Amino acid sequence: MANPMQAQDKLTFLLSLVPYLIEHDGVDVPEAAAHFGVSDDEMRAAVRLIAVSGIPGDSSAYQPDDLFDINWDAFEEDDRIELTHAVAIDDSPRFSAREAAALLAGLQYLSALPENLDRATIASLSRKLASGASAAPSPVAVAAGAAASLVAPLRAALIAGVRIEFDYRTARGDSERRIVDPLRIDSEDQNWYLRAWDHGREAVRTFRLDRMSSLTTTDQPISRTGRDVALPDSLFETSPDDLTVRIEVSDSALPLLGDFLPDGTRTSKGSIRGLTDATVRVGHYHGLKRLVASLPGLVTVLGPADARATVADWAREGLSQYDD
Amino acid sequence: MAEAVPAEERLFSLVLALVATEHGLTKADILSSVQGYRQRYQPGGDNATLERQFERDKDDIRDLGVPLETLESPLEVGNNHLLRYRIPKGAYDLPGEVVFTAEETTLLNLAAEVWREGSLSSESRRALLKLRSLGVDVDDTTIGYAPRVRVREPAFDALAEAISRHLVVRFDYVKPGETAAVTRSVEPWALVKHEGRWHLSAFDLDRGAKRTFLLSRIVGTVTKTRTTFTPPDGDPAEEALADLQRVFDSGQVIVDVVPGSDAELRLEGRDRRTGIEAGEGGRRRLVIGCSDPALLADELASYGPEAKVVSPESVRAGVIERLRRVARSHVPVGEAR
Repeated sequence: MANPMQAQDKLTFLLSLVPYLIEHDGVDVPEAAAHFGVSDDEMRAAVRLIAVSGIPGDSSAYQPDDLFDINWDAFEEDDRIELTHAVAIDDSPRFSAREAAALLAGLQYLSALPENLDRATIASLSRKLASGASAAPSPVAVAAGAAASLVAPLRAALIAGVRIEFDYRTARGDSERRIVDPLRIDSEDQNWYLRAWDHGREAVRTFRLDRMSSLTTTDQPISRTGRDVALPDSLFETSPDDLTVRIEVSDSALPLLGDFLPDGTRTSKGSIRGLTDATVRVGHYHGLKRLVASLPGLVTVLGPADARATVADWAREGLSQYDD
Repeated sequence: MAEAVPAEERLFSLVLALVATEHGLTKADILSSVQGYRQRYQPGGDNATLERQFERDKDDIRDLGVPLETLESPLEVGNNHLLRYRIPKGAYDLPGEVVFTAEETTLLNLAAEVWREGSLSSESRRALLKLRSLGVDVDDTTIGYAPRVRVREPAFDALAEAISRHLVVRFDYVKPGETAAVTRSVEPWALVKHEGRWHLSAFDLDRGAKRTFLLSRIVGTVTKTRTTFTPPDGDPAEEALADLQRVFDSGQVIVDVVPGSDAELRLEGRDRRTGIEAGEGGRRRLVIGCSDPALLADELASYGPEAKVVSPESVRAGVIERLRRVARSHVPVGEAR
């Protein structure tokens, strides 16, 4: 698990682990840890805690019969978990209304994927989640988007483990044939991306599916797999060639900037109240001018001068279309 | 100094004690006997700190979907000292008929992965732990996908909490196309993502009507009041999505885009025409839906010379006004603004 668990997560883990251990009479620590997606040490700590926990009992003192117990020899010597006595709980806990809602809304989004997810599957899973929740799932919903038509052939190439070729148009407008090993299909809201090892660039690159065309699947096996290459969570690679731009942003527009303002961006108070100055890095001005033009009056480029000029030209060229 | 018992051990012991009791335990029973409290309990003394701890723990446990009940004493209704607490096992246990196949478990894992930030991510992580307690292993068929729905808007978590607790909220809101924020007071009903944007469907108390708000236009923090409301009947999330889709479908904006441009790439997926139609001057004509003219004008302005709005006039004028503002605010430094 990526983030350290908070007390509520740890409690959920303990309540979930007990029924699993009752069901699996004798399981090795690494196997149980892998099943729950925790480290071996986290699993051992949880088992130790369960083994000394229980109920106060009639005398309000914790008596041996009122406590869980494990086979300590097997645990200490063979790293093996055998629950020998259980108290109070033996079943999985229900989902909370918000937990069920998180999974349901995730499923709605996934219904755009080309496979498996027909309406009937989703409807049946939704019913099960609703009846497995302690209260009606919270009202959170995601409209199912349409997956790009390239998702299916890319997915097939990914499963077959073969190299692919396609024409790719950059944000600058130039097009080039790319030869890549597909590693993963990513999506972010309405946008679909292919993460791939680019043979021309000898590096991992992120391609927008809507900029790809003339896809050909070869029969050459891929030389890199997702296991060889670390894929960063962020879709946008920064590069030493990036340009530094100073912008002034209305505080109300800060959330709208998204990935243009990654965590750790240097910011300071702007010239007047309600404005923030930020220094951002961009690959080129093409993305910047579009962003600024979509937030008129909310984002202003302070410098350098050629960045300001690029934005101004973009807006003026846009306006000139209406000079009739 | 009593030994420190970790929070998860105290919470775990509390759940076990409350599941095991048939008739419920009073607060005094719990504080004096349950692991994690008893070590700090002062018989006959002041236990105010410990009592506040117990109140927070109850909330934390209920947040997880554990049905922690409060029972009034039939002899003395309203006497807090005689309140009894318990967790009925039947309402705690996942019903026996709720089982998931390996394929379903795999899908649910992928559904949980969609959330990587904010409260939805913690909630799906916890849901997965519960799912794993059923012992079904995940098969590999969806490896190779990394789907993600962003929840960037800081207002999301506070609104989600207010919705589940039925609390009236207040926030400052900038309507699309305007720049000044106005304070709104609403009953939050549902959170829905449509066309890549999070919306709050709510009942606006000052206007006495249902309204939809864009989370990205909420400024500053969302204040939860203590006023509760009765949630609407039906499925407010599905209704909000259907409303947004209806508005989106009824809007019809004609745009001429430069073939091969970014504007064409981004907009053609939303084109309602079946064939390719020619626009003015070698351009391609697209007809797209629109849920909010001001929002669409923001987007269309971003395409600069790649997209020209043909109609309606409201969107066309909106784009021209935006481009003028951007041009004006980016004149070379030193020239008059």
